[in-house]
Amino acid sequence: MIWTVVRVGLLRMWHGRTEILLTFVVPIVFFTVFAFIFDEQIGLGKSPKVNLALVDEDHTPLSRDLLSSLAESEMLRVYSPAEHGAGPHIFNSVDPAEDLVLAGALPLAVLVPDGWTDSLMTAESEPISLQLLADSSDPVATQVVTALIRQTSGQVLAELARQQIATVLSLSSDQFSASAVARFTKPVGIDVVDLFAADKANPVVSMYAAGIAVMFLLFGAVGNSGTLLEEEENQTLDRLMCSELSMTQLLAGKWLLMTVVGIVQVTVMFAWAQLAFGVDLLGHLPGFMVMTVVTAAAAGSFALVLATLCKNRVQLNAVAIILILCMSALGGSMVPRYVMSETMQEVGKLTFNAWALDGYIKVFWRDLPLADLAPELTVLVATAIVLFVVARLTARRWERS
Amino acid sequence: MAEDMIEMARTPAGAEGALRVREVVKRFGGTTALDGAGLVLRRGERLALLGPNGAGKTTLVRCICGLATPDSGEIEMFGHLLPPSGGREKLGFVPQEIALYPDLTARENLEAFGRFNGLRGSRLDESVMWALGWTGLADRSNHLIKTFSSGMKRRINIACGVLRRPPVLLLDEPTVGVDPQSRERIFAMLEELWRQGTSILLTTHQLDEAEQRCDRIVIIDHGRVIAEGTLTELIAETVGVNRRVVFTLAGPVPKLDGLEADDERRELVAEVGDVALELPEMLVRIREAGGRVSDLEVHSPSLHSVFIHLTGRELRE
Repeated sequence: MIWTVVRVGLLRMWHGRTEILLTFVVPIVFFTVFAFIFDEQIGLGKSPKVNLALVDEDHTPLSRDLLSSLAESEMLRVYSPAEHGAGPHIFNSVDPAEDLVLAGALPLAVLVPDGWTDSLMTAESEPISLQLLADSSDPVATQVVTALIRQTSGQVLAELARQQIATVLSLSSDQFSASAVARFTKPVGIDVVDLFAADKANPVVSMYAAGIAVMFLLFGAVGNSGTLLEEEENQTLDRLMCSELSMTQLLAGKWLLMTVVGIVQVTVMFAWAQLAFGVDLLGHLPGFMVMTVVTAAAAGSFALVLATLCKNRVQLNAVAIILILCMSALGGSMVPRYVMSETMQEVGKLTFNAWALDGYIKVFWRDLPLADLAPELTVLVATAIVLFVVARLTARRWERS
Repeated sequence: MAEDMIEMARTPAGAEGALRVREVVKRFGGTTALDGAGLVLRRGERLALLGPNGAGKTTLVRCICGLATPDSGEIEMFGHLLPPSGGREKLGFVPQEIALYPDLTARENLEAFGRFNGLRGSRLDESVMWALGWTGLADRSNHLIKTFSSGMKRRINIACGVLRRPPVLLLDEPTVGVDPQSRERIFAMLEELWRQGTSILLTTHQLDEAEQRCDRIVIIDHGRVIAEGTLTELIAETVGVNRRVVFTLAGPVPKLDGLEADDERRELVAEVGDVALELPEMLVRIREAGGRVSDLEVHSPSLHSVFIHLTGRELRE
């Protein structure tokens, strides 16, 4: 009897190809996506370089040596604007570098403040710290660069110490402790200046809220679009097509419903994030609403395309699970994109999760005005329109055979 | 508008009929589903469309509804050529499946399909009220469809197709899967529409429905209409009006002229034109041959025998 139960189950699985797909293929696909994200051995790219700007307000040989050594690190990519010619550019003042970080162009800027070298050479006062102007939405970059500065500055200062060692050798123990060279035996001070999070309540939560919201927006939309296939199966679609309703009106109605439900879904999620975690939704309402409307609209069109391409609800669910999980993984809904290799970050740009999340980050993290959302809005609106047109074309199979 | 449509249906029958299908051909790849099918639904008529599975009934219905585009041929309604899609405001369609939203109430379903068919405001309200009364489900109007019995769902399913009171109604197996009581109720509803002037074309697998509930019958097979007429006409044209008499005997008898016998010679069959005149004479001949009749059956020619005669197949094959 037990064997019969097992046999029936296996036979049903064998006859239902979708179940086999979900059981065996989806885990492999999903594993492969995450392997590409985390494993640099596969060949799609190495660990990401940290983009940063270098600022020298000290203008001394020591500060130049330090920044030049940093610029040679393979783990860093120093900001090199075309107008300043080839090679790494070192800013003379902090303002333009800070603007780049605030605009989201770079996650970090290393600043050697004015008087840093002098403070190292003087024993009377505490040495000035280097400053790391950080966008802490990418905490990994901050930690990597902090470690690199410590390593590089140690090497630079060791060289300086070697040059002065002869002088030091003639000093007594007390005189050595009072000399500047003693400073070189201590690690250089680094102050991390978070340019974003300082005056915000739980800003990182808003990014995760956006990531999760976009993923479930897609799942919700696909669930809703599946009603088309149910209507096909029970001939309600035939009845509708015999009425005054056109296919375009039917799809537009479904799309509008999915968009409105999606907007409410994301809004409820962020409202909860505000209540429970202090995310400042009300303070970013215009940007949030614009991003949510276009994201929900794009998700609705995406779901319509899937529904019009699939033969039945089971197939739709299988395809949707694979696509949405992959898009969410690559687009940053599950894992922040900054931990991915550069290649995978570029691949992620093919998903609209990535564009949606970039938009929400601009709104909640960078406090950028609506005009700065133009790239994300353009991509998402275009996605919504193009996918709706594709859905309309593929839905022709339901109109007349 | 509904009154206008009914009035049109009541207009004395013209040459054009309510619905006329001419030489419709429809192919799906290498398969010819309809091979020059044609039929006429007269005004105020109930027409049954019969055929074995795969004969082309559903494709024909889909062509009439505009859900499939014929490769060639014409479909007219009240003398006007129908376009491939649209232009079917005078046509009501009831699909075979329960094409309703199970998680809406009966009233909500009726309102939704009324709106999809262009009804608004007081006309919509009136139509919904009429439909609830017509189906006898006014007291269940606020119950979800998924809580209904199969027969109740069928009644609402039909009601959603006639909310606009179309003068021509197409029903695809409207009583499949319902109990006899619900079936009676459904046909009572359809008869009410018919009495008001609606022309009805229905496909069915129930021969008794075609025999008893329809004025004429069309039989389709291999994509072509192979017979069309009243039951009497079909019988006369095919199996003839003779009764089939079957004698079951207690023991074997010798061969008798005009009587076919089975291998064991215990069952004799005869075609009889006048039962009252010929049957006594046959009984005498059997007795004189030494046979003793233990049972006797007289079969009238039926739609079933016509169908088998024409298609060589049972209806559900």
